[in-house]
Amino acid sequence: MAIISASSVEKVFRQPKRQAGFGGAIRSLFSREFTEIRAVDGISFAIEPGEAVGYLGPNGAGKSTMIKMMTGILVPSSGTVEVLGREPHSHRITNAAEIGVVFGQRSQLWWDLPVRDSFELNRHIYDIPAPRFADNLARLTAMLDMAFYIDRPVRQLSLGQRMRAEIAMALLHDPKILFLDEPTIGLDVVAKDTVRKFLAEVNRERGTTIILTTHDLVDIEEICPRLIMVDDGKLLFDGELKHLRTALGSRRRLKLEFGTDPGPITLKTAALVTDEGAAKHFLLESEQTSILDVLTELGSGHDLKDVKLEEPDIEEVIRTFYRNKAQTGAAP
Amino acid sequence: MARLHIVIPALVHAFIKSKTEYPGAMVLGWLSQFAAYGSMYTTISLILARFGTLGGWVWPEIALLLSFHLLAYSLGASLSFVQFREMEEKVRMGTMDAILVKPISPWTYIVFSGLNIGYAGHIILAIGLMVWALSQVEVTWTIQSALMFLCYLVSAAMIVAAIMTMIGATALVWVKSNHLFSIFFGFWELARYPLNIFPLPLQILMLTFAPLAFMAYVPVAATLGKPVPLLGDWAGLASLLAGPLAVLLGTLHWRHCIRNYQGAGG
Repeated sequence: MAIISASSVEKVFRQPKRQAGFGGAIRSLFSREFTEIRAVDGISFAIEPGEAVGYLGPNGAGKSTMIKMMTGILVPSSGTVEVLGREPHSHRITNAAEIGVVFGQRSQLWWDLPVRDSFELNRHIYDIPAPRFADNLARLTAMLDMAFYIDRPVRQLSLGQRMRAEIAMALLHDPKILFLDEPTIGLDVVAKDTVRKFLAEVNRERGTTIILTTHDLVDIEEICPRLIMVDDGKLLFDGELKHLRTALGSRRRLKLEFGTDPGPITLKTAALVTDEGAAKHFLLESEQTSILDVLTELGSGHDLKDVKLEEPDIEEVIRTFYRNKAQTGAAP
Repeated sequence: MARLHIVIPALVHAFIKSKTEYPGAMVLGWLSQFAAYGSMYTTISLILARFGTLGGWVWPEIALLLSFHLLAYSLGASLSFVQFREMEEKVRMGTMDAILVKPISPWTYIVFSGLNIGYAGHIILAIGLMVWALSQVEVTWTIQSALMFLCYLVSAAMIVAAIMTMIGATALVWVKSNHLFSIFFGFWELARYPLNIFPLPLQILMLTFAPLAFMAYVPVAATLGKPVPLLGDWAGLASLLAGPLAVLLGTLHWRHCIRNYQGAGG
């Protein structure tokens, strides 16, 4: 049974229309017009217990809005969201006790107090029994290497140390689901690596369901086997990361190197994109096309020296997708 | 689920500990508030010494009014003012989101994680002035009248906390609401004086939509047995009911705003 389900969820924000200039500002005081912003537009998905799901999309795609609806902060305009069998907003407090939430850009730690004090306060808020709290604190402190700064005021910590403390705090009460909104934003390479490895381990070893929003595809590659991709509030892709390339229509690249320039080559199975004389670059026409198909069509009358097939990396696939969309105004 | 009798002291403890990180600023805050109110009351007493009465109230009665006003305000505002004045920023910076994902009432968390000990200066001054004023005014005290006086004070503090809550809650929907505090403090200034010195429309306003007459004037007038415009003999009962009614309205408004919270985007 799904631990989280979203069915035709929409979230519409009503915002006043801004009129240009001073006169416009004065006019808008007397006749307010509003525009509706559809931040989430008919999204449906289901997440099973123990899954790790990356929620990906550009700025303004509706990622944070969806997280806020799943955590009970916002109420959907239409459709239904269920988390652990409940509607998060109408059961906000019960829901909050069973989930953990980390916001990459806003701290839940007390700025002037040692990290340990924020943890202690959460022990009372989440009503965590003392022995379980002690066990979890010891385990998380060791796993996230926090021992040397747990008694320091939060204001003295680096961003990486603070994020590790935020994640530890969100896990102290053994939540069934951990929501993370941009957990690696602003972190350096080493800190990002620590956070990613830790989250992957929490998901694998403890079975905690993880939902994370991110701009960083490496987060998804290292933590989340499943990807939900959104744009303009709409669901674009929901599936395994390895299938994203096909779904977005991105093609593999084939490089053929000859001993001498064979002249122009036209193939049905691959389209020539760059001709460097002895080196020619093709895009394969379909996912089903194999190198053998191309070589068979090419025939044996050429002085072929080397063949190289390149899978486009996932970042390039997505970058190309958004670039094409910006240029044409529609998805390719 | 959070047990409030444990969580509330833990929140207050965390807040006080965070404030004592800057002890100099805390003590200086107390002293400055004490000095500001002390000098203002001295000015009012000097004016009254020159003119004798204000709206039929002599200086010890005015002193009781001022001290009740300050004490009720301090008790109510320590639970609400700084906490809800910061609501705009909580919404704008997204820290309200972080509060809404905790298994505790957000009002309880906001109020007790910011319980303002900075009002100690106000409270000391108000109690000192009140003790002196009560020794000067002619009131026949009984157990019932003393209990009523305490209940008036609690009710007045409830009005302050409820209005502050409503103003702060408005930021959940409008994002900005701090200008409403300026309006509040406008009426708050007027609430220090006998209501009968103001024109009738203002008297009506301060007994209805901006009910700060119930914060000091109406309960003190009822205690002193002075005539209260528009309310007459109902002044005492109205003073007792005004606080709980304000809290009821504040609760409904808070719930409505939480349900319609949109964040500031992002």
